[in-house]
Amino acid sequence: MKWVFVGAFLVLVALSCVAWSIQPEAAAPGRIPLLWVSDDNPARREQIDLFVQLNPRFDLRLDPNNQGMEKVIVQSIAAVGPDLFDCYDGYQLSAYVKSGIAWDVTDQLKAAGIDYEKDVWAAGFPNFVLDGRVYGFPTNVSANAIWYNKDIFDAAGIPYPKGPWSWDDFLTVAQKLTVRDGRRVRQFGLLCDWWNWRQFVMQWGGRIYSEDGTRCVIDTPEAIAGIQFLHDLMFVYRVMPTPAEEAAMSTAGGWGSGTITYFAGGKSAMAIGGRWWLCTLRNVQQERRKEGRQLRLGAVEGPHHPPYRVFRGYARATLVNKHSPHREAAVEFLKYEAGQGYNDLINRQADALAPMKRYCYTPEYLRNPEFPEEDYNAVWRDVMDYAGPDQISPFINGQAASRIMEKQLDLVKNDQKPVPDAMRTAAREVNEEIQKTLQRDPSLRARYAELTQGRKQ
Amino acid sequence: MKTRDTNLGAAVGFLAPNILGFVIFTAGPLVFSLAVSFSNWNLQRTIPFQWNLLDNYIELMHDKQFWLFFVNTVYLMLGMPIAIAGSLFLAVLLNQRLRGMVVYRTLFYLPSFTSGVALMILWKALYNPDFGPINALLDWCLQAFRINDILQALGCEALSPPQWLLSTRNLLGLDVESVGFAAGQRGVGAREALIIMGVWIAIGGNNMLLYLAALTNVPQELVEAAQIDGAGRWKVFRHVTWPQLAPTTFFIVVMSFIGSLQGGFDQARVMTNGGPAGTTTTLAYYIYTKGFEEFQIGYASAIAWILFALIFVITLINWKFGQKELSY
Repeated sequence: MKWVFVGAFLVLVALSCVAWSIQPEAAAPGRIPLLWVSDDNPARREQIDLFVQLNPRFDLRLDPNNQGMEKVIVQSIAAVGPDLFDCYDGYQLSAYVKSGIAWDVTDQLKAAGIDYEKDVWAAGFPNFVLDGRVYGFPTNVSANAIWYNKDIFDAAGIPYPKGPWSWDDFLTVAQKLTVRDGRRVRQFGLLCDWWNWRQFVMQWGGRIYSEDGTRCVIDTPEAIAGIQFLHDLMFVYRVMPTPAEEAAMSTAGGWGSGTITYFAGGKSAMAIGGRWWLCTLRNVQQERRKEGRQLRLGAVEGPHHPPYRVFRGYARATLVNKHSPHREAAVEFLKYEAGQGYNDLINRQADALAPMKRYCYTPEYLRNPEFPEEDYNAVWRDVMDYAGPDQISPFINGQAASRIMEKQLDLVKNDQKPVPDAMRTAAREVNEEIQKTLQRDPSLRARYAELTQGRKQ
Repeated sequence: MKTRDTNLGAAVGFLAPNILGFVIFTAGPLVFSLAVSFSNWNLQRTIPFQWNLLDNYIELMHDKQFWLFFVNTVYLMLGMPIAIAGSLFLAVLLNQRLRGMVVYRTLFYLPSFTSGVALMILWKALYNPDFGPINALLDWCLQAFRINDILQALGCEALSPPQWLLSTRNLLGLDVESVGFAAGQRGVGAREALIIMGVWIAIGGNNMLLYLAALTNVPQELVEAAQIDGAGRWKVFRHVTWPQLAPTTFFIVVMSFIGSLQGGFDQARVMTNGGPAGTTTTLAYYIYTKGFEEFQIGYASAIAWILFALIFVITLINWKFGQKELSY
């Protein structure tokens, strides 16, 4: 029996040696390996191919399996992190910087002649700039506008919407386009993913945090009115699906794909979204063409609540891992993201908008010969001038803030708690969490004291 | 003597990789996490490391979220007795000598070797309030049997199919924001959805296999003796088979308690994100949230050790009272 075990052990050793010898090379010979943690899709692979084509000394590979801030941070601290990774909001950037993962590339980008303040859309700043230091470069940017289905408008005999317009104007149109079939709604006037609740706060003149970020002020009358309107779109005006109706979309999976699919399927006349929806919508249009049908789309600036003409702006940025042995080489990727080749590619792919403003003011951006029917590209660019990024507070962990706010918003969304009560609870709990964070973090305590001192005096 | 020494050397040699792995990957991190639970260790470097003795444990006792999630964890265990009883019932059925029994056994065991994530996505679709087949069936029943007409005639409120994963309601009427009860919360919601799914997965799983194995070990002479004495099927089961299954039942109960207290992470991650309004967040998911999303590793370790203490105490209680049942 002993020899059986010894034999098994030797076989395992031999197999391990074989596995070791045939493992794929970390990089092609003579090339610098770079690993980028990002989502896998055809657009991303094309972006990588172009980088490798323009920079043949690098071997850039995609790692879609280790996405998620917590994974990147834990792996990087354990020295097995990627060279490049994505950052989706200001909270994530703050966490990456505080964890010592994000590398400060201010000087490298300045030396390369990249002036982000002048060249990049401001809505993307929170994703890569913190306290005046630069930690990466945006991969793409976007701001919300309205997608509309031309066929639905034509069938109802309603003229296509034109911006700027108010929510009152919008409601008149949306109610006409909401079609009920007994108890069920057959066609909605509007689709809006709930993560856009922040836009409604901004549009009613409210804020999530005070200017200095020391307090959560989501319980102000303005913020409450914004959330109340979003609630009423579902439960009072009934032009937008309730969570129960929305659930049908969420089963389809991430990044609003459920909502996009639902919109593309003609279940709604309009939808709040970004230019990046086109990545999916173009595929749907192609499928339709094969079937002899079509999906005719239009885009218009989103409605606003006068005088607050502001729309939620957001971005995705690439950061460099401070602990990467190839961090200097990784900066080349950021320079590539600032170059014309990459920016034109982003605009052509419709993977939102190119991060560099000047490449969105070209004839190529306005008219893509492959998609001549897309006559609305100017809309997506022009709303960027009114884009407001999500507000964050440096005095609270983003996940903790989200957990508290999402809980109250869940109750609002399900019509289980009045909006004012929910927002008051959210503000109180976030402010309590801010105080707890201050107790834990002495560096924040000093900063908080400095900011609040003036107020007390 | 020499043979014993040679055998000892070989035994140590063979055990060494396992022991080494256990020390490095299990015992070491275990001791480390206990130590860390007495510190403020945070992955954010702006927070200097400090030993804070019992601060995490004291904070935990005042953490409203911890108690809410503890209640959730216990509530989700309500399906455990049903799952165990179901496994036993199924095992008894599958212990018959019928043609094609292997196929039945395989079918019932199928959920156990199917990917948990795939099952959860499937159940998520089943629970869809508007388009899911479960509510379609319930809707059909309400209409076909005119249940709401009857209820209204009796002066009762009309019924509608539950919102399942979207609803914070629960059978006991537990409040969402504090530990207690709220009249408006009574109903069926996300927690019941997870319980039903958990029971479905568990019934045909390992418990069923354990019961099947135990049933084959019940001495036939005892069964035959009881039958000769005139005992019917139920009496044979009640007085012969069931007592013989006691050690297996004890093992299953202990393991189910441990598994249930540690559970809920996958469901929360895949199906609900811990919502709606935190109603499906269990202690296991809270540990993950605190440790890897909010980076408070010290605090998360303290929660983990409280959970361990809880499991330990419950297992001791099970052991103390369960042992009595074993003395047949």
